[in-house]
Amino acid sequence: MHGVTHHNEGDDARMDVTLQSSRFGEITVSPDAIIDFPSGLIGLGGHRFALLARSEESAFAWLHSLDDPELAIPVTDPWRFFDDYEIEISDEEADRIGVTDPQDTSVYVTVRAAAALEDFSANLRAPILVVGGTGHQVINQVPDAPVRAPMFTGLQETPTKAA
Amino acid sequence: MLIITRRPGEKIMVGDDVVVEVIEVSGSSVRIGIAAPKSIPVYREEIWEAVKAENQAAAAVEVDELPDDLPTPTRKR
Repeated sequence: MHGVTHHNEGDDARMDVTLQSSRFGEITVSPDAIIDFPSGLIGLGGHRFALLARSEESAFAWLHSLDDPELAIPVTDPWRFFDDYEIEISDEEADRIGVTDPQDTSVYVTVRAAAALEDFSANLRAPILVVGGTGHQVINQVPDAPVRAPMFTGLQETPTKAA
Repeated sequence: MLIITRRPGEKIMVGDDVVVEVIEVSGSSVRIGIAAPKSIPVYREEIWEAVKAENQAAAAVEVDELPDDLPTPTRKR
């Protein structure tokens, strides 16, 4: 497991963080891979996380708390699975979390993993936006963005459109 | 729970920084304005509850190995 690097200028003095993950054993995260979540994840808290993945190309990563060794959530790039995914947040919310340019923003969605791929789902309602080493889980204002969107429906038979 | 009667245009202070204003009352609906510091996110309760439950479920999953080699759902044959 390697922490995916996020550049966070001016914080070189910070130390590596080592913790005993309940899932992965001892993990060490370099300071520039730490993502600060000022408000934590919704309902879960946690204020420092890191993305752990086997490689930069991995479809999934674990967003692992550095404060709670038992807290880790699978995440993915939503556009890898949902071509037409859209996120809409109010200007006030964008200002609150410091998003000025979508190009500078990394987007992840949480994943409910399962034994079978068909049962994997992603939360398109509450994406995680990371800007400049700071993360916020926000509420997507696009109407009816699902909390549990099946990720591998494409594997099943293509439904025939009703006439 | 503290219960306060307010009219449209009247406000409630929560601490020194959070202002809750009754904007409009119409039938069974009440429009409420909330001004809070940037550090305090504001959610509709039912959405907050749904996302909290989903976060907890995603974090509680017993799968430790996530699939790496994935069939791509959108792949054209």
